Amino acid sequence: MNTTRRQFTIGALMAAAAGTTPMLVQAQSGKTIAVLFDGLYSEFWVAGMQIIKDEMKKRGYAVLEGISDKDDSKQFEQVRAMIARKVDGIIIVQTDSKAVIPAIRAANRANIPMVHFNRPPAESDAYSVAVVADNQTIAREAVLHSCRTAKQAGGKFKAAILIGNLGDPNAIQRRDGFQEAVSQFSDTIEVVARIPTEWNSDKAFAGLTNALQANPDINFLFTSSDFLIPQITQALKSADKWAPIGDPKHVIFTGFDGFPTAYELMEQKYMDACGVQNLFFETKLAIDAIIQMQEGKKPEKVLLDPGFAITQANMMEKREEMWGYTLLKQKKSG
Amino acid sequence: MNSRNRITILLLQAAPYLLFLAILLVFGSLSDRFLSLANFTNIVIQAAPVAILAIGMTFVLLTAEIDLSVGAIMYLTGCILGLYLGGVPWPVGLAVVLIASALLGAVNGVLVAYLGITSFIATLGTLFIGRGIAMSVSNTASVYFPEAITSLNRAAVFGIPSAIVAVAVVFVIAWVLLQQTPFGRQVYAVGQDRDAATKAGLPARRIVFFCFVISGALAGMAGFVSSTQIGAITASYGLQAEFSAIAAAVLGGTSLFGGRGGVKGALFGALLIQTAANGLVIINANPYIYPLVTAGIIFIAVAVDGLRSRMLERLERRFIRPWEIA
Repeated sequence: MNTTRRQFTIGALMAAAAGTTPMLVQAQSGKTIAVLFDGLYSEFWVAGMQIIKDEMKKRGYAVLEGISDKDDSKQFEQVRAMIARKVDGIIIVQTDSKAVIPAIRAANRANIPMVHFNRPPAESDAYSVAVVADNQTIAREAVLHSCRTAKQAGGKFKAAILIGNLGDPNAIQRRDGFQEAVSQFSDTIEVVARIPTEWNSDKAFAGLTNALQANPDINFLFTSSDFLIPQITQALKSADKWAPIGDPKHVIFTGFDGFPTAYELMEQKYMDACGVQNLFFETKLAIDAIIQMQEGKKPEKVLLDPGFAITQANMMEKREEMWGYTLLKQKKSG
Repeated sequence: MNSRNRITILLLQAAPYLLFLAILLVFGSLSDRFLSLANFTNIVIQAAPVAILAIGMTFVLLTAEIDLSVGAIMYLTGCILGLYLGGVPWPVGLAVVLIASALLGAVNGVLVAYLGITSFIATLGTLFIGRGIAMSVSNTASVYFPEAITSLNRAAVFGIPSAIVAVAVVFVIAWVLLQQTPFGRQVYAVGQDRDAATKAGLPARRIVFFCFVISGALAGMAGFVSSTQIGAITASYGLQAEFSAIAAAVLGGTSLFGGRGGVKGALFGALLIQTAANGLVIINANPYIYPLVTAGIIFIAVAVDGLRSRMLERLERRFIRPWEIA
């Protein structure tokens, strides 16, 4: 594998060019906002990015976008590029809560407001505002509904949880919310499988299939994100456990996020409850915070989206607040 | 070679099998469901995508190259299948996926074999390009597969699950190609010493090129099998799949330095990784232990590969002083 300097340079340039190309949209005039996400890995992030862009444009801002593909150093470069362009604010979704701190400090030095969307940074003396969902409470409330359903049904339940990335605070809070809820029903529910998915669909499918192999009587399931619904559906179908509410084979199923597919499953009575992050509220909080900071105000460092649990009982009254339902309705109406 | 060296070499060669045995014994003693035919079938089905990927990677590793783009090829061809081939019969979809992935592999082959770009850099570049195109065509949204594709997961041929049939067919073809044909012998020769192989008149560039084509095509095949299992893919699909494939190949005895190994080992390596993952879920292990166990297995495999290579190198060295021969 001997390589000349020229060959190495061509290859390195090719890789660098491909890997570091952010999707930049040129600002035309007036104020500019940078929206830097670490990736658009699920419908939640796609919808979040779109809602922020639409709302900012409505308010007369030009939007510059950047995607860092879960690369903290690339994201830091993007932040520096945005500072050099003298943007009026940065909305960011970082991968690592600690690695983002130098970026916050750089924004502080340039006096550019920074808001973290849906993922908080680690504690530091640098100032920025984080908009986060109350993951633990939302998960607990949604799972509590399912626990009550199990209790009413009677008998013993064996539960499995699909955990997200163990390095993601959101995933840990959702796991803890699940744990808090089921521990109140320890006489009814026994947790027999804790499956780490690393937010990876292959691992989620394999893990759940393994769990169903070891415990064919699993009849209570919580997923830390709705984006794993297709894999859950496949695994339950293969195990002959994909059945609606009322069927003896039904697995009491709780989701989290509020995806369009989650609403569809609730409507079709395959899902019992879902913890919903209020995406519209979170984007409003983020944009309001940026504007307040531009005006010289100093909002709280953490702004909380209380979210809510949508259940079979309150579905009709709460669905309008569910971003997944709104997207689904828009899609159906063309 | 004296008996002590012979035993050491034998132990190093048997290390992955001893590890596998240890895993079976440990998990088997902790759960009565682990050592069952149903669970073993389950393990093979789940290992199928990584096994197919690892078989393709073995061809590339044997030539002392590396292919980091296999996960991106899986994602891109998965997007093609889900977005544009939803209405066609699955054999047509599979054929298009194989052709598209082989073409992507050919791009890698041209960059490495004919333009002389280091495979690490070339395939890193195509990894980003592939993922970029896939994210662009899918708008990074989830790509769902039709029931005609996902129902294949529950299909069987003479009672054998479709994923096992797929991996068996790929394994047999790859084994015959590598062990029973002149092309296979040439792959080993190029991997052991490319300059010597070229001087002996072997078309080294063409051989390396075709190894990348095979790796690309099998990445597409792995993606297809995986698509039947998981039903939908997102932008994180295939991320780090290359590491699983490399780990499986190396665990099975394929050297990162080229010229040594085979597809039998790749299949074994994939089964070993999946068996450990399966065992951890079955005993309801603490989720924080998973990465430690997986990393431990890979570390042992790589360390054994390094030790074995150094040992063989030492034994093959010519000594002037007789007392240096240990």
